[in-house]
Amino acid sequence: MPTLSNDYYEFFGLARKLNVDQAELQKRFYELSRQWHPDRFSRKSAAEQAQALEATAILNDGYRTLRNPVRRAEYLLKEEGFPIGEQRSKDVPAELLEEVFELNMMLEELKEGDDSARSQLEAAQQNFIGLRDSVDSELEKLFNKYDASEPRSETAKQALHEIRGVLNRRRYIENLLRDVDRAIHPAGAQTEPVEDRL
Amino acid sequence: MAYSEKVIDHYQHPRNVGSLDKNSPDVGTGMVGAPECGDVMKLQVKVNPETGVIEDAKFKTFGCGSAIASSSLATEWLKGRTVDQALEIKNTDIVNELSLPPVKIHCSVLAEDAIKAAISDYKKKQSSRKPEAVAVS
Repeated sequence: MPTLSNDYYEFFGLARKLNVDQAELQKRFYELSRQWHPDRFSRKSAAEQAQALEATAILNDGYRTLRNPVRRAEYLLKEEGFPIGEQRSKDVPAELLEEVFELNMMLEELKEGDDSARSQLEAAQQNFIGLRDSVDSELEKLFNKYDASEPRSETAKQALHEIRGVLNRRRYIENLLRDVDRAIHPAGAQTEPVEDRL
Repeated sequence: MAYSEKVIDHYQHPRNVGSLDKNSPDVGTGMVGAPECGDVMKLQVKVNPETGVIEDAKFKTFGCGSAIASSSLATEWLKGRTVDQALEIKNTDIVNELSLPPVKIHCSVLAEDAIKAAISDYKKKQSSRKPEAVAVS
């Protein structure tokens, strides 16, 4: 039996880059899906069947992770020793915290029935959408910086460190946009899914 | 995951919610956040500059029950302490008092950071004031 790699990049046979060719990824996904399809293992030993099942799980999780730029970056950060979510609040710029706080105050006013907060919120929403766009282009630049650097070099580490900071900001913005959207359109509203951005 | 009774009590009846005048020289403001859950916490202290005792403390937190409870408890503990005693409050004290589970420890860290940020803001304001006072007299 072949040994399975738990590493998504290795499993898909892709270079450890932050930019991933979506067409290539999809092609590998289909190939590997066929290769590991449970039907092809129905007459094999129990151990081989179990391995096929394990491979399918890695395949699906890996595809979900690598397909999305934010999840992909979070995955690579974790693998390279920059786990997200374990650092303290000092990594978030003070101005962003102020903005987040103000927007939350407005949200609360709107929830309490003060409808004059609505137009303010809508303006703030536009502002935050713009902010998210600029964060995304910042990420794009940093992805390129990382991909062009020698693996595990100082430049690579520096890029990953910066990416983590930017991803933190992005998460704040993303959470807020979701809350604002819910407050403005209470029933069944949705912004474009995170999945398809960047 | 179940919240402890103390967390629920602070969550349902938060102490000292509100704000103090952040432009006042006797008020220190700490604004901190936890990116992973989108929490943001503002904690303020009003200090008597003569005695260094914290006379009032207010907070406003947008976040989960544990984050609200941690900051609510922090403001309770701050009142009546000196600035230096306030800096001795550790996140583990909050964890123990509220029986926070491991996944919520970062909420107590946030509260400790907020205390430190508020005190350092107050100290910064005071030290930038002193040379002025000397110059005037």
